[in-house]
Parts: sequence; C-alpha cells; structure tokens
Amino acid sequence: MEDNDIQKGETLISIKDLAFDFTLRGQTLHALRGISLDIKKGESLAIVGESGSGKSVFVSNLMGLNAQNGHVSGGSIMYRGLDLTKLTTEKEWSEIRGRRIAMIMQDPMTSLNPLKTIGWQISEAVEMHRGLNGEAAKKAVYELLGDVGISNPERRYKQYPYEFSGGMRQRVVIAIALACKPEILICDEPTTALDVTIQAQILGILKRLQEKYELTSIYITHDLGVVADVADRVAVMYAGDIVEVGTCNEVFYDPQHPYTWALLSSLPQLGIKGEQLYSIEGTPPNLFYEVHGDAFASRNPHPLKIDFVKCPPMFEVTPTHFARTWLLDPRSPGVEKPEHIKRLNEKYQELMKKNGESVSGQEPARTALEGAAI
Amino acid sequence: MRAVIEKCNNSSKRLAEIRSINFSKGQDTVTKYISKRILHSLITLCIVIVIVLALLRQMPIEGYFNNFDKMSQTQINVTLKQLGLKDPLPVQVGRYFVQLLHGDFGTSIKYRAGYSNAKIIAQKAPLSIEIGLISLAIALILGLPLGAAMARSTRSKFKFWDRFGTVLIVIVQAIPSAVYYLLIQLYGSEWFGVSMLFSRSNYATWILPIFSLSLGNIVYYAMWLRRFMVDEANKDYIKLACAKGVSQKKIWDRHVFRNAIVPLVQYIPNSILFTLMGSLYVESLYSIPGMGGLLVQAIKIQDNTLVEALVVLYSMISVVGLLLGDILMAIFDPRISFTGKEGAR
Amino acid sequence: MNSFADLGSSKLESSLNDELKKHVSAYDKYKDLPEDELFTPAEFDSSEAEMGGYSNYSYWKATLRAFLHNKTAAFFLAVIVIVLAFTFIQPLLPNQRSAKTIYNDSETGIQIVNRQPDSEFWFGTNSIGQDLWARTWAGTRTSLGIGFAVACWEALFGTVIGLLWGYVRKLDTFFTEFYNIFDNVPQTLVLILISYIMKPGVNTIIFALCLTGWLGMARFIRNQVVIIRDRDYNLASRCLGTSTGRIITKNLLPYLVSVITLRMALAIPEAIGNEVFVTYIGIGLPTDMASLGNLVQAGRLVMSQPELRYQLLFPTAVLAVITISLYIVGNSFADAADPKNHVD
Repeated sequence: MEDNDIQKGETLISIKDLAFDFTLRGQTLHALRGISLDIKKGESLAIVGESGSGKSVFVSNLMGLNAQNGHVSGGSIMYRGLDLTKLTTEKEWSEIRGRRIAMIMQDPMTSLNPLKTIGWQISEAVEMHRGLNGEAAKKAVYELLGDVGISNPERRYKQYPYEFSGGMRQRVVIAIALACKPEILICDEPTTALDVTIQAQILGILKRLQEKYELTSIYITHDLGVVADVADRVAVMYAGDIVEVGTCNEVFYDPQHPYTWALLSSLPQLGIKGEQLYSIEGTPPNLFYEVHGDAFASRNPHPLKIDFVKCPPMFEVTPTHFARTWLLDPRSPGVEKPEHIKRLNEKYQELMKKNGESVSGQEPARTALEGAAI
Repeated sequence: MRAVIEKCNNSSKRLAEIRSINFSKGQDTVTKYISKRILHSLITLCIVIVIVLALLRQMPIEGYFNNFDKMSQTQINVTLKQLGLKDPLPVQVGRYFVQLLHGDFGTSIKYRAGYSNAKIIAQKAPLSIEIGLISLAIALILGLPLGAAMARSTRSKFKFWDRFGTVLIVIVQAIPSAVYYLLIQLYGSEWFGVSMLFSRSNYATWILPIFSLSLGNIVYYAMWLRRFMVDEANKDYIKLACAKGVSQKKIWDRHVFRNAIVPLVQYIPNSILFTLMGSLYVESLYSIPGMGGLLVQAIKIQDNTLVEALVVLYSMISVVGLLLGDILMAIFDPRISFTGKEGAR
Repeated sequence: MNSFADLGSSKLESSLNDELKKHVSAYDKYKDLPEDELFTPAEFDSSEAEMGGYSNYSYWKATLRAFLHNKTAAFFLAVIVIVLAFTFIQPLLPNQRSAKTIYNDSETGIQIVNRQPDSEFWFGTNSIGQDLWARTWAGTRTSLGIGFAVACWEALFGTVIGLLWGYVRKLDTFFTEFYNIFDNVPQTLVLILISYIMKPGVNTIIFALCLTGWLGMARFIRNQVVIIRDRDYNLASRCLGTSTGRIITKNLLPYLVSVITLRMALAIPEAIGNEVFVTYIGIGLPTDMASLGNLVQAGRLVMSQPELRYQLLFPTAVLAVITISLYIVGNSFADAADPKNHVD
C-alpha cells in the first residue's frame, strides 16, 4: 500500500464498474451492477437510496464485510495502490479494517457486545491499533470518551452496554471507530434507529470529529434531511447503480435524473397543503433478473422509449455533477421538470440573489428545503 | 433436532419465569430468583416422591420376602402388616416422609438382609460420584473445544472439523447408548488389552467406563456449543468487531466463544442426568461397585425396599440437578439480573 | 377489455393469466426501433411498475429443495425406506425361516447351535439353534413397532394436549406446573419403575415410554400456539383480515409438521435404546420374543468369543443403520424446514 500524503480534495478511493452478486436459493442476485465513483480526501459523501438499492452492500465492499454467499463479479476498488476487491485473506484485510477504514452501524442496541464493559471494547481497539497498554490505553479511552461527549469517563469505563441509552451507545460506537484513527469513516445509517433530538447530537459529533481528525466520511442514509445536514457531495443509488452524483446544491437544486426528481418530490416538506402527497408508483425491479435499459424506466412517469432498451451512460452536467439518464443526451426531447422541483429551483435562485455569490456548502440546501415547505 | 425442541422448551421456560418476576436493581434479583427456584424445587421434589412411592406400592410383593414360596398366606399377611404395607396409602407416604427426614431409607430385605439401605448406598455412592464427576469434566474438556472447532470450521473451505464433528455427533446420538457402551467395552478391551472388569486400584480399568460415560456428553456439548457459536457469530456486534479490525481468532475466542458459553450452561443439568442414567448400565457392565450397579442388582434380585430407596434417591438427585442448572443460568445470564433496563433508550 | 367485475372468480383467474401471458415486456417492444424513434416519449404503464419485485418463495418447495439438495439426507432417506420396506417384505420372500423354530441337523438330530454365517443360514444361528437372519428381521419388526407406536402416541396425544394447553388460558398454569414436575424425572427411571412393577412385555414397554414421552411434544406444541397468538406478524396478519385457518396453515403448520416428524423419527431409536437397556436389567421383553434388545443382549453374552461375535454384530449393524438413517433424515428435514436455511 502506498503511504504518500494525499492532499485534501484529491481522489482517495477510485471505484470502477464494481459488480457484486449474491447466490440465493440457486439463483444469482445482482446487487451491484457496475458502480463507478471517486471518493475525495477530506470530503463528506452521502449515499442515498431506498431500502434494497444496494447502499450497504456497496460500502461493505470497502471493508470486505459482506455475507459469505456474496462475491465481487467485476470491477475494482483502488485505494492507495491496493485493489480492495482482490483482498481475500484476513491478514490482507487487517491492514484496512479499523486502521484505515472504520465503520459505524445502524443499530446501536445490537452493535456492542452485551457481556463486556464498554471500556474494554474501546480499549480493545486502542490496544490493537495504537499499541498502547494498561494505563496508557485507559487514558486514551478516556480521551475518546471525552471526544464523543460522554462525561465522567472513569465511571463509564466500567459500565456495560445495557446501562447506556441508544444515543450514548452510538457515541461509544463512534469512539470505537475513532480509536483506530482511521482515514475513512463509513457511517451506515447512523441515526436511523435514534429519535430526532439525539439524531442532531450524533450528527453534530460526527461533523466535529471529521474536522478534528481530518476524516473522509461516507454516510449511508435514506433521509434527505441528514444529507442536507452533513454532506458535501451526494450520490443517489437506485437498483444497484449510481444514477446521479454531484455536490449537495447541484443535486438538490438542479437534479437531472427522473429518480432524483421523484425522491425530492416525495419529501413531505414540499407538499402543498390540501393536495395529495407525491409518492413513486410501483416497486424497485427484481434484481434476480437482468435489467434492460434504465432501471427506473418502468416507474418513470415520463419515460423515453430508449430508457427501456439501453442503459444510459453518465452524462456530465458540470465537472462535479453527473447523471445517468438519456434526458441529458442531445438527441432527447426536453422533458419538463415536475412542479415540486421547479419550486425548489426557484427558492434556490432567490437565495442565490439574496446572499450574492456566497453559495457554498450545505447551508443553502437546508434552509431552502425548510423554506420550500408550505 | 431433539435439540430444537429442548432449546425451545428451555428458553421459553426461562423467559416465562423471567417475565413473571418483578425486577429491581442489583444482586437482589438473582437471589430472589434463586430462592424462588429452590422453593419450587422442594415442592416438586415432594410431589415426585409421593408419586414414586404410590407407584412403588404396586411392586410385586415377592420382592419383600426372602423365601416367598415357602411362606403360607397368613405368614405373608403378617409380614406385610409388619412392614406397614397394609395401611392406607396416605399413611404409608406420610410415614416414609418422616423416615426420609431422618435419613432412613428403609431396610434391605434381600441384598443384605437387615442392613440399613442408607448405609448400603452410602458405601457405594462415593465411587459413583467420583466416576461421574470425572466423566463430566472430561466431557467439558473434550466437548467444548470440539464444538468451538466445529463452529470455526463452518467458515472455512473444507470444513474439516465441522464434518468430522457432525459424523461423530450423528453416530453417538443416533445409536442408543446401551449399544455403544457394549461395543466400547468389547473392542476397547481387546484393542488396548484392558480388562473388562473394573478394579479400583488398576487405573487402566477406569479408562473405558469413564470414556463410555463421557462420550454422550462430549458430543452433546459440542453440538450445542457449535450451534450457539454459529448463532452468535451472525450477530451485529461481531460485525462491528470485525470492522474494528480484531483478528478472527480473537473474535472467535473473546467474543463468540465467551458469549456462547452463557446459554450452554442450561444444558449441564441435562447432561448430569444423562450421566446418571448411563451409570446404571456402565457400572454393571464393568462390575463397578457403585450406586448404579447397586440398582441393577437390586432389581435383578427383587429387593423392593432397596429398589425403592434408590429410585427415590435418583429422583431427588434429578430434581436437585435441574435446580442447579437453573441457578447457574441465573448467575451466568445477564438478562435475568439486568432485565428492566433492557431496551431503555 | 373485459370488465373484471363481470367475470366469476374462476373465470377471473384464467382471464388474468391470459392477460399476463399476453403481456410483452417494454424491452422487447422497443428494442428493434431505429434511433430517432427511440428518443421519443413512451407511455407510462403502471402495471409494469408493479411487476418489479416479488418473491418466488414457497415454503414447502424451499423445504423440499433444501432437503434434497442435502445429498446425505437424500441418501439416507433412500436407505431407511429400503430397509423399512425390506423388514416387512422379508417374511414374504421365498425360503425364509421362522424366527422361533429351533433347527436340528438333519443327520445328527442335534440342534444347530452357534453356526457361523454360511449359505444356508445367512446370519448364522444362535445358541439355541434359531436362524439369526429371521430373528434379526423379526426383532427389527418388533422394535420398530414399539417405536412407531410410541411415536404415534406422542404425536397425537402430545399435540392434542399441547393445543389445549396453548389455547385455553385457564389450563396454562395447571399444565405448566404439571410439566415442571414430570420433567424432572428421567424417562429411563420411569421405564425401570414401570417395568419392575408390571409384567415384562411389549405392552409394558410401550406403556412406560408413552407415559412420559408426550410431555416434550405437548410443551412444544403449546409454545407454538402461544407464539401464534402473540407474535407481531400474526397480529399483523389478523389485522389484514387473514382468517385463523390461514394463519394456522401458513404460519403454524410448517413448523409443527417438521418438528412432529422429527420427534417421531427420533422416538424410534430412543425406544430401541430403552428397550436394550431394560432387557439387560432383566425386565425387558421375554427372551423367546425376538427384538433388537433381546438380540443385542443375547449377543453380549457370547461376545467374548471372537468366532461367535457375529451374534452381536449383525443385530447391532441393522440397529445402527436404522437409527442413524432415522436420525439423519429427521434432523435434515427439520433443518430444511427451518426458513433460516432457505437461503441457498
């Protein structure tokens, strides 16, 4: 593995045409169908999608944590000169897991070993990755507990997970992930199982820690509010493929893919009082079968005939914004954006004018979303 | 598997009892639970003894006499009356209870006429206990590692230990123990040149009987441990430990194994019972002068009071054994002490 | 298009099937169009949208698949079927001898005692001159009969009690206490007791084994019934309007059948084992009766002489084949029936 210093903003992980299959009841499930994505150092990337779109499978590949009946069937993941898809033995993965890439998972109630104190669980990671022992390890654990906002670390060290609430447990999980001082932190739906107030706290901790430790964060979520809160870039996944990727503002205010339109339109905040809320008709395709053309075509209210025939390539909208849809092909007739999206766009234009040129980061995204609610 | 039913039965039994108790913080819960179980077991014990006694009263009366054929009907009746066997059942049961409380298990009639049963049994018991404990220890020492190896090998390509262990488990569990005890005795003594007759001083003769007794339990523990470990290995916190970068070996030992042992504890009493019943056969096969062999002998010669004493004693041991299992479970299973806090956010 | 409201339900079904067959996927519809036509709007077909994800999961199919996929299980299933069939066909085959007759040498008139297996007596003869081949199969029939009787009783009585125990809440405490008491005494002990008290015989053994055997089954059935009432997915089913009958057949029955069959499969080896044990003590079946237990014990008596060992080994071999096959088949079926294993 190459250990050279990669600058902030440069590509850290390069994923090309990643395909992943599961063998289920004698049939093959094509969970990932050729994903290409670049992850930049220091950024905060959110991966959004419905249940079953393949988000968790995708990031599990970065750590080799998928179930035994799954295997990579194509593509590569290049990280510091190493192709992660080629790693098979535990020894090979031990360089990556925890040390370089760490993960926090969705359900804090089951993420911790119920029969060991949380101090033990954190120091297991500390001892392993930092080579500390005894008192030094303990001090490091106290420091970590402080980092995640757990007070009274001496007492907490000796306690068991059942003595913690859900939010506190998630903080412990974050502490464990950071014990390793990783380069990349994957957060697989970190706040889904928590209530809204705790959610804000946890996201706050994650943002603070990302700055402090110069982490590259990858968030998996289906909650667009979380995306708006934490992410620099967003990748929208559908049926095992990425359909749109761009900065937060670009994807929220200038979405190009019909699925992104549908997703954003479904936000309750964008609903008009008295009218029926928008929902996407139908269900995601059965990935046991081969998908012809654009996977979203059958649920797209305004499809083109070619959407059913051929899979569109990624079209560039801006150097940072790409979408996989035939609508961006010069040969396609223009399709009108749905009502909700137009409204969102207008709000954004207003904000742009108000703030002059200062449109960067997530701020406008969130405020406009809030403002668009009627 | 019979395993499945047992597991369901046991875990729902535990859960039902857990739910039925009001919990507060701390060690009190465990002691409360234990006291409740002890009381429960005492009651169970009394009922079991009553039923056993009632049944035993149906024993063929020849068993009460040394020379039954030569006695006249009047003589028979007189003796029966003397023994208190003509009294109504509740009276007999009550009398027996009082006797029991004094440690009196009756007097032998045929085995060693006039001798107190309690004394006879007390002479034989230590050896049985010794052999029983050793075989249980060996079962744990051999069975647990086997189960762990089997669980670990489910993830490997060849799955050697899993296959080997499974074959062993199938053979030992399918073939009735009465049959493989025989085969072990036969071929064990032939191949290793050990006598089939037990002799306390000759340690070589201890090997076969102890091995026979422990075989069933080795396989039992291995099977359950493997099952529990495989279940634990699929849980979320193991995935997190993997993500932490903990080595596979450490994960299996520190996390999976340690956590899987906890539910295993509830199967120890069952294995004690198994050893108990097994000892009946094994002891008489090898002529070991223990309690089990004593029962077989008593049955063969039809010494009613001795049979009665032993059956009652074995029932008591069974009840106590299961009670012990519950207590161990209470100590080991954090859910019992910790319920009430579980699920708090 | 027909209005579906006009059709009766069977016609409805066939009509639906026809529609589905007629349906051509959009891919096939458009794939051969020229480029400029491809970039024109297509119509939105909501039925195509719904056809996406559906599971082809059928519980019994998946169970059967998992079972047969397991080659060992399939093999042993064949074995046990063959052995069972043979056991009962054997007396009908030509040249079979009776299990009880003592055979005398035609020349000397003395009983043919302890003869090694040869072309005349395939399993040899035992110490009183009986044909071991015939005796082994007769013994198998007896032992299987006992085991099967016990298994059936367990299944029937156990299920009935279990259902009552589960449904009728008032009986729950009574049965639970009852169970707790009787669960404490090992079955072997009860068997010894009963056999000691009553006259040795087939009925005694069946009675003794049935006395305690049903408890485990009843407990399990009861647990399943309670689960039906209490599990969330059943509550959800009821909310959606599913009838109790359907809940029973779709949610409960699959588990029940698999466990009942397992229990029955395992009861037979258990019964044989108990029978061997009890015969050894002397309170088993009468010695003239052929049973696997008797045969094993008789074989035990001569096992120290290597040339007579066959008298132990033949019945043991048959016993081993039967018990191992039943164990494997029973367990494999139970595993196959467990939905968690319907993954690959």
